[in-house]
Amino acid sequence: MAYQLYRNTTLGNSLQESLDELIQTQQITPQLALQVLLQFDKAINTALANRVRNRVNFRGSLNTYRFCDNVWTFVLNDVEFREVTDLVKVDKVKIVACDGKSESTQNKVDK
Amino acid sequence: MASSANSNPVPKLYRSVIEDVISEVRELFLDEGVDEQVLLELKTLWENKLLQSKAVEGFHTEEQAALQAAQQQQQQQQQVQQVQQVQQVTQPAQAQQVILPPPPQQAPQQQVIVQDSKILQHMSATGMSAAATAATLALPAGVAPYQQLITSQGQILQVVRAPNGTQYIIQQPQQQILLQQQMQPGGVQAPVIQQVLAPLQGGLPQQTGVIIQPQQIVLASGNKVQGNAQVMQAAGMAQQPGQPTTTAALVQQLQQAQGAAAPQAQPQAQAQAQQQAQPQAQPQPQTQQPPMMLQVDGTGDTSSEEDEDEEEEYDEDDEEEKDKDGGEDGQVEEEPLNSGDDVSDEEDQELFDTENVVVCQYDKIHRSKNKWKFHLKDGIMNLNGRDYVFSKAIGDAEW
Repeated sequence: MAYQLYRNTTLGNSLQESLDELIQTQQITPQLALQVLLQFDKAINTALANRVRNRVNFRGSLNTYRFCDNVWTFVLNDVEFREVTDLVKVDKVKIVACDGKSESTQNKVDK
Repeated sequence: MASSANSNPVPKLYRSVIEDVISEVRELFLDEGVDEQVLLELKTLWENKLLQSKAVEGFHTEEQAALQAAQQQQQQQQQVQQVQQVQQVTQPAQAQQVILPPPPQQAPQQQVIVQDSKILQHMSATGMSAAATAATLALPAGVAPYQQLITSQGQILQVVRAPNGTQYIIQQPQQQILLQQQMQPGGVQAPVIQQVLAPLQGGLPQQTGVIIQPQQIVLASGNKVQGNAQVMQAAGMAQQPGQPTTTAALVQQLQQAQGAAAPQAQPQAQAQAQQQAQPQAQPQPQTQQPPMMLQVDGTGDTSSEEDEDEEEEYDEDDEEEKDKDGGEDGQVEEEPLNSGDDVSDEEDQELFDTENVVVCQYDKIHRSKNKWKFHLKDGIMNLNGRDYVFSKAIGDAEW
């Protein structure tokens, strides 16, 4: 079972909104919408793992950190994201990171 | 599309994800007995939302690219998008007709009479070229057919573009027989069309248009031509008695408007009523005022609402939800008194416009005293409103 992490992205949210609209007009069932989202999880995880090949560096100051249920959540301030091509600066960014080592073991208990 | 050496990988990635999901989900849809059309609609909605979000650069389909170019020529972007959805729901095999440049000359209005039943026999059928459409519809000069659409009810719509950029949608009835029968009396329909088409050529406002939705006619902003455009719709719609009741009701209304000397007030009222009905549903009812309570702790308070609002504000869980509903009401009065009392960081949450978010997986998180190092992978970032992706990200921060 792939991480549902990517549902809260532009791509994921637009999919969820579209599904909600179809549910509103009763063109699909909520169960079907859930299946679509699960399929989306698989697809996005695979795509990111296989079809993306670029590196980014960033630097900033750490405002808060949290580690709970094997999920790290950081809030950084005054961050610069640097790619080979360009530079992006933001005042505040939230980073949510799931465990990358055992990706397919969302329900497994670590020992 | 940028042809630079460093092309943005995001649109392609998103496109491939969409295609994957849609194709994988097709089976699920069929198993549930859901029509393929719904699947296409899902895809369309999804892509449109991505487009609207402007988070991705250069993200478009081929059809939408052509339409976007056309949209920029016309100022009715909202209407055209709705029309696009209708168009894309229908068979994409329907050829998009090439936009004809409107001929500069203006034909006299009497030539516009559509009375000959033989001409009407050509009016049905898909795949008519735009020129043939213009001829058979006897459109006034300068009004060129732009696109042909089929609504979900199977009606053929002709999207017509006038020289100054306004756009109209004319319904083409599909049944020739009805046309002939109703056009033979001739007297009612033809002058109507005459009247309708007459004002089209002079001094049109630029933001007039008509949208046909499957069950509604929604009128956008407009002036006097609005009434006439409605009349055109009524003329077209009156020829199809088999319409669903809602449409028939609207037709009746439109016909009444047609009969009135000055139909402009009514359609505008209708349109405004329709437009107002929507926003009226939206604003949530304001919080009810609680019964007055005795206060023993000091004067100067404005109302007893404060007691309730104070309790709400101290409860952090409720803040995000209730403050948005009742806060608009109470906070205006309260701010001078209690604005400094809040400990929560609710203000930070309200102030963000685009919360910059990175969603990813971590390989290694390392800390030494207050120096943190992040090794991340497979992430999607939304920074300053735009989307980025990475396969690896390495970062440093001091806490």
